[in-house]
Parts: sequence; C-alpha cells; structure tokens
Amino acid sequence: MKFDTLIVGGGLSGLTCGIALAKRGKRVAIVAGGQNTLHFYGGSMELLGNVNGKDVDNPIEAIAQLNENHPYSKIGADSVAELAKKAKALLADVGIQTIGDATHNHYRITPMGTTKPAWLTIDGMATSDKADQLPWNKVSLVYLEGFIDYPIDFAANGIRQMGVQVETPTISLDCLKRARRSATEMRPTNLAKIFASTSAVAQLAQAINNSCGDADAVLIPAVLGIDNDDVCNMLKAQVNKPLFFLATLPPAVTGVRINAALRHYFQMLGGRYILGDTACKVVTNGDTVTEIRTTKLLDMPLQADNYVIATGSFMSRGLVADFEHVYEPLIGLDTNAPDDHEKWSQYGMMGDQPYMSYGVMTDGNFHPLKDGKTLTNAFAIGQILGGHNPVVMGDGTGVSMITALAVANQIK
Amino acid sequence: MATTQLTSISDHNFEQCLKCSICTVYCPVAAVNPAYPGPKQAGPDGERYRLKDPKFFDEALKLCLNCKRCEVACPSDVRIGDLIQQARMKHKSYRPKMRDMMLASTDLVGTMATMVAPITNFTLGLKPVKAVMHGVMAIDKHRTFPAYSQQKFEAWFNKNARDYQNTFAKHVSYFHGCYVNYNFPQLGKDFVTVMNAVGYGVHLLEKEKCCGVAMIANGMYNQARKQGEVNMASMRKSIDQQRPVLTTSSTCTFTMRDEYPELLGINNDGVRDNLSLATRFLFQLVDEGKIKLAFRPEFKMRIAYHTACHMQRMGWAIYSTELLRMIPGLELIELDQNCCGISGTYGFKKENYETSQAIGETLFADIEAAKPDYVSTDCETCKWQIEMSTSVKVLNPISILAQALDIDATRRLNSSEWHRMDA
Repeated sequence: MKFDTLIVGGGLSGLTCGIALAKRGKRVAIVAGGQNTLHFYGGSMELLGNVNGKDVDNPIEAIAQLNENHPYSKIGADSVAELAKKAKALLADVGIQTIGDATHNHYRITPMGTTKPAWLTIDGMATSDKADQLPWNKVSLVYLEGFIDYPIDFAANGIRQMGVQVETPTISLDCLKRARRSATEMRPTNLAKIFASTSAVAQLAQAINNSCGDADAVLIPAVLGIDNDDVCNMLKAQVNKPLFFLATLPPAVTGVRINAALRHYFQMLGGRYILGDTACKVVTNGDTVTEIRTTKLLDMPLQADNYVIATGSFMSRGLVADFEHVYEPLIGLDTNAPDDHEKWSQYGMMGDQPYMSYGVMTDGNFHPLKDGKTLTNAFAIGQILGGHNPVVMGDGTGVSMITALAVANQIK
Repeated sequence: MATTQLTSISDHNFEQCLKCSICTVYCPVAAVNPAYPGPKQAGPDGERYRLKDPKFFDEALKLCLNCKRCEVACPSDVRIGDLIQQARMKHKSYRPKMRDMMLASTDLVGTMATMVAPITNFTLGLKPVKAVMHGVMAIDKHRTFPAYSQQKFEAWFNKNARDYQNTFAKHVSYFHGCYVNYNFPQLGKDFVTVMNAVGYGVHLLEKEKCCGVAMIANGMYNQARKQGEVNMASMRKSIDQQRPVLTTSSTCTFTMRDEYPELLGINNDGVRDNLSLATRFLFQLVDEGKIKLAFRPEFKMRIAYHTACHMQRMGWAIYSTELLRMIPGLELIELDQNCCGISGTYGFKKENYETSQAIGETLFADIEAAKPDYVSTDCETCKWQIEMSTSVKVLNPISILAQALDIDATRRLNSSEWHRMDA
C-alpha cells in the first residue's frame, strides 16, 4: 500500500502533521498502535511554561533562553510564533475553540486546585490571568455524588489559598444513582456519556441552580461534552450564574474530545487512520526508509515518499528503557540517554528527572539520526524528541504541535 | 534479574497494564449498562484478585460482548478481552440454557430450518410465536430472525457452480460460514462470481463446521473446540493442495485465526497464514499487479462503511475500504468506530435487548445522518442489527464488488492464465 506520507503514531503530533498534509491534498496514512496520551489532556495546551525555575509570561521571548537541543531552538522563535498561530487555527478548524496565544501565558487550574501556565485552553474551562489569584470572590465547587478520582478537598483548599471563598455542594441525580451500581466506573468519560442526554443536562442545571446560593461563579468538573461542546453550552445557558469547567484526572473528557475531533477531521480530508495496529519493522536502504511493516497487515508493506515517526515517549512505547539501555524500538534511532542507568533518575519523583528529557536525536530539520547518520526521508516529531521536558518546562503539547507543523511544512 | 524483566511475559500481556483507564472510554457495554463493571475492572484489575482467589470472580463478566474494542484502544497491548473471556471459561458457574444452546448451534438449527424454510420464516415472524419465544425461550420479541433460505449455499454450489471450477488455473477454498449457507446464499454466489472473474476457481472444504464463535459466547467450549478441530483438518488439506482458504465473514475469520489458539487452545499453525478474508486477498492481488479489475462505467453508489468489532480487532478494515475505494463510481463514508450492539447471539437474548439497542444508538444515528444508498460491513450479525434498527440495507463489500465489476471485461483482463488452463 503506497502513500505520500506515512505517519507512525496517532496522537497529537501524528494527527496534527497528518491534518496539515492532508489539507494540502497529500495521501496520508497514520498507524496508531492503540489510543494515545491526548486522553490525559485536561483541556489546556502548554507551549512553554517554565524556564530555569521561573514561570514564563511570553513563551516566544523565552525561547532565547533554551539550549540549542531544544526542538524550539531548532525551529527558531519567529517560526514557532507563526506555527503557534497555525496550531490554534487548526484546533478551531476541527471544532475546538480555545482562548490564549503564544505571546502571553494564562493560568490553568489543575484538579488539585493549583495553577500552571498555559498557552491555549478550551473555551469554557476555568482559567486565571494570574498565578496566585482567581477572578472570583466566592465560588461554588460542585461535587457530583459518587464521582471517583476527584480530589475535591485538595481543589477546594487550593482555591481558598488564593483568597476565594469556596462552598462544595454535593449534587445527587437519579441518573448518577443508576450509574453508581458500577461504582468503579464513575469516571469523567463515563459520566460524560450520561450527560450526553439533554434531559440529564437539564436535571443537572436545575440541581446546580438549587444548591449554589450566593457564589459569583459555579465550577464543575469537566464531565460534559465528549462529542462536542453543545451540552456544555446548554448547561451554561440553563445555569443562572457564570459556570466554568475544571480539569479532571484522566481519562479526561476534554482530551477525548480533542482526539476525536482531530481524527474526524483527518479522515474527512481523506486521511487513512489505521487504529489498533503496530508498526513492528522498518526497512531502510542506506540513508532512506523504504517500507514499514505492521503486526496486523502482515505481508502487506506500507510504503511512502516520507515517513514521520510520532510514536511518543516511554508511556506510548516510542521509547523503551530496560536495565541496560534507553532505546527507540522501531528503527533503533540514536537517543540522547547515557548508558549509565544511575544517571537516568534522581531523588524526588516530581522533581527534574533526567529521563524526562530523553529522546531521539535529530538534525536541525528533525531528520532522525541512526548510527550518527541522518535518515533523509524520515522525520521525528512530538514527545519522542529529546531535549525538552514536558513536566518541568511545561512544553509537552507545544512541542507536539509545533514540531508536527514544522515538519509538515518541510514535506513537499 | 535482567533476564527476568526482559523475558517474563504474562498471559494475555496482563502485567503490561499501566492502569491508564483508556480502555474504559471505549467499552460500549459499560457506557449503557451499570451492571457491567467495565473492561479495566473486569479485566486486569479483577484478574489480580482472581489470581489470589477465584471467589473474586464476578458473574457480571458475562455481560461482556467480547467486542475487543478495549484491546484496540489499549496503548500497552494488554489483551483485556481475552483476560475476561478466559476468566469466564475458568470460573463461571452458570450453565448454558436451552435457549443459548439453540442460538449457538447454528449448524443444527440452520439445517432443520432450511429444510422447511418458508414455514420457519413465516412462523418466526408471527406475533404469537414471537411472544412464546420471548416468554418461554427468552429470545427477545423485538428481534427479527434472519430469514432462512430455501436452498443452502452448498446445495446451490454443488448443482450450479462446482463443475466448472476446475477450468481455472488458480484455486481457493471457500469457508462460507453458517450465514451464507443457511440464510444468505447470495453472498456466496457473489463471491464465486468475483473470484471466477479474476481467474480463481472456488472449492468447498471437505468438511465445514460453524467456526464456533456463538458456542464460545454461550459457554459451550468443548463443542466449539471439536468443531474447530474439524475445520483445521479440512483447511490443512486444502492448503496442502495449494488452495488458500477465504471467507466473507470477519467474525468467522477472527475466531479461527485468533480465538482458536488464544482461547480454545487449538493449534492453527500452518492454517492461520493461509486463512484470509476475501477482501484482503483481492486487495493484495490488485496491489501486486497480479489481477486487474474492470468496472461498469454507469455504476454509482454511496456507501457508509461500518467497521465491525472483530474486523477492527484484526486490523483489516483498510483492505475492505481500499478495495471499495477502487470502484470509480463509489462514494465511501467511513462511519465512526462504534459497536452496533448485536454481538452475535447476545442481542437476541431478552435480558440483553435494551443494552444491545442502546449500544447501537450512536451508530444508527450516524448511519441515518450519512444518508447512504447502502451500509457496507464485513460482518453478518452487524447486518441483521443495522437492517433491523435503521432504514438502510447492508451489503458485504464482496457483493458490492460483484455489482460494480464489469464481469466479462474483468474475465478478459485476467484471462491469459485462464486460457492457458483451457488449452
């Protein structure tokens, strides 16, 4: 089977690159070995949140402080600024409206009630312009009876510490009681399937109106809108106070919606999305890739003019660590990880862990290196790239989208 | 210690579960039926407890459809569906009821029903009969039984097609499955038409039994295993004669390729690689330039393709959709990945009817919104469910191909070897 471009990996970077290429009329296929880490996205994208221990206000200006191996340094600040606009427009094209831009971070509110710098946030989510202030005096933080994985006390305390009065009414509805027969399944995405019905949304709106006394705003976990934001808007229209959604723990409704929206759009443009199949072998000839084999298509090789490797980091098996090596399992690309595994981690799990910035090495155009030589018709994009650190620097989603668009621009 | 980590592989990749919960997003049952604990709890989470003590087995696992959408979604390749099926095989206490055995014994019931097809079809459609089946047999009264054919496919083939199959240069065997044999011989006839047109003779297997998917679902594992062994023996003979085995049903194919070794412990070595879906076989031949297809210029059709759950699990939908896309007058819409809810015999049971229809609701709405001329899918039970629940008729891709091909022109394009054989 022959395509113009073959993308391995169906997450944010693979889909972004696929959409940009398919829009130009290219024949593109994406091979996705299972679902992706978009399912963990709580509704905000980060471009660059923290450099040298300090929150970043203007990510584009802060790129100058990054070292030369960071993917943004390879692209250059001006180009990143351009591509960031395109990324926001691409999300709008697929039906995801966001607030924010690349020259000024806002703050997203985490499920733990803390704030983090953000680049784009889905319209309707709770945000703030300041790290330590929220735009309300008193909020009603709604708890849905039986909802698991929602640390309401942490969230309430975190918000109180920013000088906001918080009340936490519990809302109980018949539809939630029925769902609680399966107590382990009271997750955000399963609740969103209940709240896909307009009658459930109306019941929820009424219960909120009955229980949120004199608060200036209502905050509710983002458990609505798994397909689109219609029911979110319906709820906002029916609640008689300003209402904002708060990020939840995974699987997050917001991320599932982004994933589905990107995939629909890609397929609508004629892109082929091969889900549940895993690239298992890449055939190379000198400095070019000639074909890819998958576990399900067996003797049918997938061939293309260009190959994009968007297989993600450790979680997505784009990178693998055993006792001896950190390696890229598909092609055996060069990584920036040292062989001495004592150096991979350090004390403090949530601290600056070296392994978080491990990934494959590329030249300035994101052609990956194998045995020190570049593969000329292959590109690496997204979380598989070394030299950045999504946890500490807050650059994960930005690197995924920006490198995807930068590579799509290079492919003729 | 290093060796332990590198080589230890647990049953169905159980130990690879990272607890990311992504599978729970895609379970069609948990979304509509809170009595089912969902794939994570029923699969890897529950398995940790069951390994300690079988008393942790939860009878609610029988509500699993075995659609495998959890496995397709899993980023860590944990075979969640297999874990659940295996737990049911190992621990379940309920016995298949009379009704379950009837639904699962497709060969027996199909043979009896086709003998008196007009009576069967008439009777099964009667309200009082439906009421009795609903009340006594617990087969839901809303269900329309697939009509039984008066003439089995095998009988048609032996009478009308068998004799000239040896005039072809290349040959395949056809595992037609119960549905083609008892309910819908037309699909089998279409298959023969298409294969003959591209220069392949079609043969039946020496012995063909139901693949056993319904028996597995209804807990009749020993019977399923026996039938599987018969199928494997017949297929080995066919493969020894250089005749690969083709099917037109994604579920039969998936069962015999993957469920036989994974769940029933049937050795299908040597068969698995030569057992394929007709659409995959044809696509590959075209892709490799070994056959050519000529289409009728006036053919026009708008198709909404539904990826059946087991087709999705096999990862072969792309063969069917790319084959359909070769037809110039065909407009293809790929429907979203949603289960239709029937899952073989599951949806026929009274206790599952509501769940079954609720699962399919999204797909039915998508189909109506797409306004296609036909839905296409590679699974026969999806066809029953979609035809019962929407206003649109369903065609297997092979039947669409049979309609779209200019048969004579295609024969001529592929006839060099055909003539050689003639001479």
